[in-house]
Amino acid sequence: MKSFSVILRREVFGLFISPATYVAAFYFLTLLGLGFRFFLESFARTDWLLPPLASLVVALIFGSPALIPFLTMRSLAEERRLGTLETLLVAPISVTVVVLGKWFASYIYFILICLSALGFPCMAVWLFPEETIDLRLLEPAQLIGGGIYLLAAGSAFTAIGIFASSVTRNQMVAGMLSFTLLTLHLALMAYYHGEMPTDTMGIAAANVLRDSLGSLTTGLDRLEHFVVGIIDIATLLHYFVTTCLFLGFAILATTRLND
Amino acid sequence: MSEERKVSKNVIEVTDLRKAYGRVKALSGLTFSVAKGEIVGFLGPNGAGKSTTMRILCGMTGADSGEAQVCGVDLAEEEGEVRKHIGYLPENNPLPEDLRVSEYLKFRGRLKGLSGGRLRERLEATLNLCDLRRSASERLIGNLSKGYRQRVGIAEALLDEPKLLILDEPTIGLDPRQTGIVRRLLDRLRGETSFLLSSHVLSEVEASCDRMLILNRGRIVAEGTLQELQAEYLDNTVFEVVAEGERSVIEKIAQEVDPLCVLTAENPTDATRRKRFSFSTPSGESSAESILKALVAQSATRTREFTIARPDLESIFLKATKRSWEQTDSSRDNLREVSATLQPEEEEEEEGAQ
Repeated sequence: MKSFSVILRREVFGLFISPATYVAAFYFLTLLGLGFRFFLESFARTDWLLPPLASLVVALIFGSPALIPFLTMRSLAEERRLGTLETLLVAPISVTVVVLGKWFASYIYFILICLSALGFPCMAVWLFPEETIDLRLLEPAQLIGGGIYLLAAGSAFTAIGIFASSVTRNQMVAGMLSFTLLTLHLALMAYYHGEMPTDTMGIAAANVLRDSLGSLTTGLDRLEHFVVGIIDIATLLHYFVTTCLFLGFAILATTRLND
Repeated sequence: MSEERKVSKNVIEVTDLRKAYGRVKALSGLTFSVAKGEIVGFLGPNGAGKSTTMRILCGMTGADSGEAQVCGVDLAEEEGEVRKHIGYLPENNPLPEDLRVSEYLKFRGRLKGLSGGRLRERLEATLNLCDLRRSASERLIGNLSKGYRQRVGIAEALLDEPKLLILDEPTIGLDPRQTGIVRRLLDRLRGETSFLLSSHVLSEVEASCDRMLILNRGRIVAEGTLQELQAEYLDNTVFEVVAEGERSVIEKIAQEVDPLCVLTAENPTDATRRKRFSFSTPSGESSAESILKALVAQSATRTREFTIARPDLESIFLKATKRSWEQTDSSRDNLREVSATLQPEEEEEEEGAQ
């Protein structure tokens, strides 16, 4: 546990002194803020059924392929390229602790970005109290539900990023792999979101996919539940399993490539 | 029933260690030991298996078979445990560029289980020992010269006062002054800490180490102190005489005393008429002394200097590796001969059967 906290501190420090993470966070939050502003302005004219706060959660989820790679791509790939991973593993410390420490540091940074994004509805309520009163931007049930979904999805997304970083020495390749895996996941979610096929074969195929891939395909439907305050345990379990699976792969890849 | 484990008194005890990467045999039956407080030089040509051995001893990779105990820890049973007792400086010494020296050493100290006052005390001690306190402790590692980086690596390895320090090419790329600093560092720790030091700089190993292990093709091909290796690899006594006189005269005198003695070289010395004659004889040092007496007795030769040359580590290293190549090649030839003699017999049998 002590060595985990030592690794975590070092990694968090590394993320905070890295210009790449600041640049990524700045552009990400700026675009998110602008998008949220325009969404609120046009909310009355859209057929959006969910609460306005849900748009922020959706934007954070769908924007994560542009953010997560910046947080995770350096972690293992750069250490392996420089050879410092070898030096690190000579200390009385296991590969598991190293991978978990690096993952948790990226996860903390992701959570910080999400908390910063929470500043947008707070600012809207503070600056325009009368105009936003009907939008119920700070409804506790929505905040808690959306927050839990972001925490669950964020843990899996950062684990995917760490895995991508563990299989290569090149941080650019790691970043691109992480971006591709996350985009693929979100594309699947978006593709299967909404109306079910009407023909029997289509329904059967969709059911098989939903049963085998879980919230990999139904994540967006579940997100709709979370943002109105309904917590779906199966989705949380799915993201927990995804996190464990990709961290396990990362541990195996690190051990194997270091051998 | 618990199995009784034999714990060695040596810091390193390796028996019949084997490791292969696919078809390539990196180690094929490596056996050696390192005693407490001993500085052992680990020599060998590129690809001999030095780094693989060091990685196995550090618990970074496993061996395919054989036994290895480091600081009383059996690597087959507790591979990770050994890292609590050793310090390791890898080849090229990779360090994080974005940290200051003191930050890096604190980070590594905490990973090694040091904290509070103990960490501060060890940090102070290693910075002083490696001469980093005033000059480099607050500088970014990325801005340090090769020599300073090497000292940071050694300081890191020494942080938790390990019983054994494994140094893979500690002086590679260093200028003579920086090499001298590393050598003095080893001298300061001599007797307290055991060292396994791999290097291509043979003069460095010769100056620093108590004992040498010469490795080739994953096996120890020579082992011992410099004197022991000299005795083993000294087939002929080589001696040099500085004298005035004709080559033929001097050669004749030497061969009258020892018919097996051969004059191998004749080189002029600086701006005088004297020449340096090199002789080689299988009859030993007593024969060389007799030749000297004969030369001195001859007033015409005017003998000025006489030296019995000892082979340096470089010649021993070359001889030991060459001998191991020859042995391997001859055993391969024998195998080929055996298979060649077997093949016609088999062919004849096949023809007979047809």
